[in-house]
Amino acid sequence: MPLVVQVEDLRKQFGNVRALDGVSFAVEAGEWIAITGPSGSGKTTLINILGGLDTPTSGKAVVDGADVARLDESGLTRFRAEKIGFVFQQFHLVPYLTAVENVMLAQYFHSTTDEKEAREALARVGLADRTEHLPAQLSGGEQQRVAVARALINQPKLILADEPTGNLDEANEEIVLNLLRELHSEGHTILMVTHAPAIAQLADRRIDLAHGRLAHLSQLSR
Amino acid sequence: MFARLVKESFVRNPRRKVLAASALILGMAIATSTLTVALEVGDRLAREFRSLGANLLVTPQSDTLPVEIGGVDYRPVDAGAYLNEADLGKLKTIFWRHNILGFTPFLDVPVSIETPQASKTLAATLIGTWYKHAVPVPDGTNFTTGASFTHPWWTVQGRWFHDDANECLVGASLAATFPGGLAPGATIQVAVPAAGDAPPETTSLLVTGIISTGDAEDNAIVTPLSIAQNLSSHPGQFRQLFVSALTKPADALASRDPKSLTPTEYDRWFCSPYISSISYQIGQVLPGTDVRAIRRVAETEGRVLSHVSLLLWVVTLAALIAAALAIAATSAATILDRQAEIGVMKAIGATNALVAGLFLAEELMLALVGGLIGFVFGAGLAHFLGAAVFGSPASPRVILLPVALGLAALVAVAGSLLPLRRAAHFDPAPILRGE
Amino acid sequence: MFGRLLWKLVRGNGGRLVVALIAVISGAAVISALLNLEFDVTGKLTQDFRALGANLVVSARAIGNVNASGASTGLSALPSSAGLLDQREVMGKIENLRSQAVTGAAPFLYVIARVGDTPVVVAGTWLDQAGQVAPTWKIQGDSAVSREDEIRCLIGRDVAREFHLSPRSMLALQYVDRSVQLRVAGIVDSGGTEDSQIFVNLPIVQRLAALPGKIQLVQLSVSGSSASISAYASRLASSLPACDVRPIPQVTEAEGNLLGRTQLLIVSMVVLILVLTALCVLATMAALAMERRADVGLMKALGGSISRIVALFLAEVGALGALGGLLGCVFGILLAQWMGQRVFGTPVSPRWEIFPLTIALMVGVALAGALPLRMLGRIKPAAILRGE
Repeated sequence: MPLVVQVEDLRKQFGNVRALDGVSFAVEAGEWIAITGPSGSGKTTLINILGGLDTPTSGKAVVDGADVARLDESGLTRFRAEKIGFVFQQFHLVPYLTAVENVMLAQYFHSTTDEKEAREALARVGLADRTEHLPAQLSGGEQQRVAVARALINQPKLILADEPTGNLDEANEEIVLNLLRELHSEGHTILMVTHAPAIAQLADRRIDLAHGRLAHLSQLSR
Repeated sequence: MFARLVKESFVRNPRRKVLAASALILGMAIATSTLTVALEVGDRLAREFRSLGANLLVTPQSDTLPVEIGGVDYRPVDAGAYLNEADLGKLKTIFWRHNILGFTPFLDVPVSIETPQASKTLAATLIGTWYKHAVPVPDGTNFTTGASFTHPWWTVQGRWFHDDANECLVGASLAATFPGGLAPGATIQVAVPAAGDAPPETTSLLVTGIISTGDAEDNAIVTPLSIAQNLSSHPGQFRQLFVSALTKPADALASRDPKSLTPTEYDRWFCSPYISSISYQIGQVLPGTDVRAIRRVAETEGRVLSHVSLLLWVVTLAALIAAALAIAATSAATILDRQAEIGVMKAIGATNALVAGLFLAEELMLALVGGLIGFVFGAGLAHFLGAAVFGSPASPRVILLPVALGLAALVAVAGSLLPLRRAAHFDPAPILRGE
Repeated sequence: MFGRLLWKLVRGNGGRLVVALIAVISGAAVISALLNLEFDVTGKLTQDFRALGANLVVSARAIGNVNASGASTGLSALPSSAGLLDQREVMGKIENLRSQAVTGAAPFLYVIARVGDTPVVVAGTWLDQAGQVAPTWKIQGDSAVSREDEIRCLIGRDVAREFHLSPRSMLALQYVDRSVQLRVAGIVDSGGTEDSQIFVNLPIVQRLAALPGKIQLVQLSVSGSSASISAYASRLASSLPACDVRPIPQVTEAEGNLLGRTQLLIVSMVVLILVLTALCVLATMAALAMERRADVGLMKALGGSISRIVALFLAEVGALGALGGLLGCVFGILLAQWMGQRVFGTPVSPRWEIFPLTIALMVGVALAGALPLRMLGRIKPAAILRGE
């Protein structure tokens, strides 16, 4: 299978703090990876770099053939719009746009908007009857599902999720995880940060981080 | 704990504070500078207006009708009444003595002039006056005054005479009729026709300069007052006095008859430098005189001054309102923007009163600090403005500081009240959910 | 989508935007009011100064009037005949060169006549011009006397006191062997020489002194800058070669100086307030723009280019600036009207050029306030989303 992600000796320093201290790994297309580790281990930093939201201090991080470490500002912009679908722990929906408009926002930054397509995306995540609601009118789980629809709308090569169910109750967590399972079975490549072993279990593989370095790579069977 | 909360909150997030504070600082600067200028300007412009010349004329009450054309009095010297030079020091004893900027006596004598080459005799008027004369004041000091103060537009080619010397200035038009012209340094002989057959007494005068005024002096000789007094045999006397006084434009109170005022109103009128009250006070110390306003000067001055003053106050008011609105707007924006904090505090049990108190306290601190900086900035601007326009800087009115701070606090708090009331109705839950 | 986004942006932030709008409106109102006033103030102040009265004098070139050689001869002497001008010629030339700036022109002929035994100066002039060349005269009684009136006169207050006259009293003037009967129309209080003079229409004095069609001088009241007044004076002088055209230095110098100072003061105040108000609005706009940080961060994370994002917010604040500027201008023009009425008693004409000027200024300031958002282009979305 072709490699979607190739990370080589990635380092990130914030002042004196070494958030990432030489991380190397690779991800094949279609894999569901769980990035685990205690807080402060660099998980979020890693995923931010892979998503083009932050730049490394040194090292290589190749996503779908593009080394994010070498991309300039406009390159990163295109990268984020075209190659990545990001799902945040805090949802980060625009509070004054409806659900469908939040999805269309991602289309807008990619190329052109297509309301029909956006509605279909919301229908896929089970929110066909919530398209005109504002985030304030949706439950946490519903908001996260909108975020997932938004992440998928531009056919990204890589889905990044940072503690996607961290702010959700059990019921909603189940719904979102089911969504992720569906996406995985459809062949999407997913990198998910989580600190819960039960959720990490769902993934194909675990990458453990501790103090900015790989703890161990382990192959989990489903 | 409350103080600690306020202090911590105040110190955090300086970036947001800077923006709110800048509106405050700028608003305060506008307010301070415009108020300072509006307060000062009246005074300064009034002084500037004194360059128009004298605004009061004092003549003897029992005088016969002057027969004047073009500033020349055609009456014979022994007709009419005179005033005493010795009384003039009393002008600096009236209530408004500091507003008497200058006064100049005049005495005219018809003379005949012998030109330097003794080739021709001309008839002209000799005008006796002061240029810069020290007048003894009853309190022991001397007050220097003269035409240099009351007639600043008189120009002299050469130099002015000394008030105690046998010197004179010759009017430009008169000098032109002298055969061969006349230059400073020449000497002329003046004589007054004597009574009967006695030969006229001549006085020798050194011409120190040529004067042009646009008035009677252009066709006359101007000498120190003492020389005119000697020639006309009226020692220590003069005919007319021009006074330059710093006055306040007339308003409703000033235009009423002083006799019709109640005692309090009368006091207020007396203690305001209206041209009518200053005239009245001069009339009190110089008995037997008629004091009248030179309307042409006094009216124009009054009108322009009151217009400009009013204009400045109106402009200041407009600026103040705009500043107040801007300040209110930014403090409102600051509150609206901290909904999350408010939500958290309410969620952990803070009462609306406490939340309001905290924010208002912080707002007040911001207003005081910003107000102070704005005041200094505004005072500096007014200072600079005064210097640029009037050549002397406007001193900051320290009394404005508490006023300015009070206003800043009031406006900042008023601006915060409405948003705070809305905040009181905030449901903590959605805020905590992160929306 | 851009329009939709913009609309939602505005709707969703109603509260904060209203607040910012108020700040912009008030700033624009003050600025437009001041600009409107500034254009008019100079004109109004110049009018005030014209109240000083005549500032130009036309007289005969010969030095003329001095002939007080002695006691008795002085009183009946008429100022030397070398100092006379031809009325028709001089007034005609003045009429030809008349422009808007000349607010009044009056010829004068003086004679020392007698009332009973007392000598009095009588000035022959055009009584209908008194208001223009001597606007500060306070006249008790009837001030409106036409040029043709041969019966009525104005007398100075000292004259009234001396001869116990009041309005409608009769008065007999004698000169040599001629006499004329006059009725007092009004009493003049000027605080100057005129208080001891009698004013009648020119033909009366010309007949009394047997000098038909002659005058001694002309007083003119001309408005404008000192440069334009001297230009007018030289034009007049060249068309009247036998005459002396002189500005009255007391009036012109002081007036020029004072007008200059006053204007400078007002202009400085206006500029000062303009700058500070603009800065105030800028601060408010910047505060508003900073609230957009989180949105900017998110949009960047979604792959939006910074220029597109900033364009969105610039459009928002720009629209705010334009709307606020427009509304503020309307208030400002009204405010200027009120201020003009209150201060000068006459309305200030609204200057429509102020609208585009103020709106442009407000939009400029609003955009300038939003520009710091551009700087967010350099910051990583991760940092913004974290809340830095």
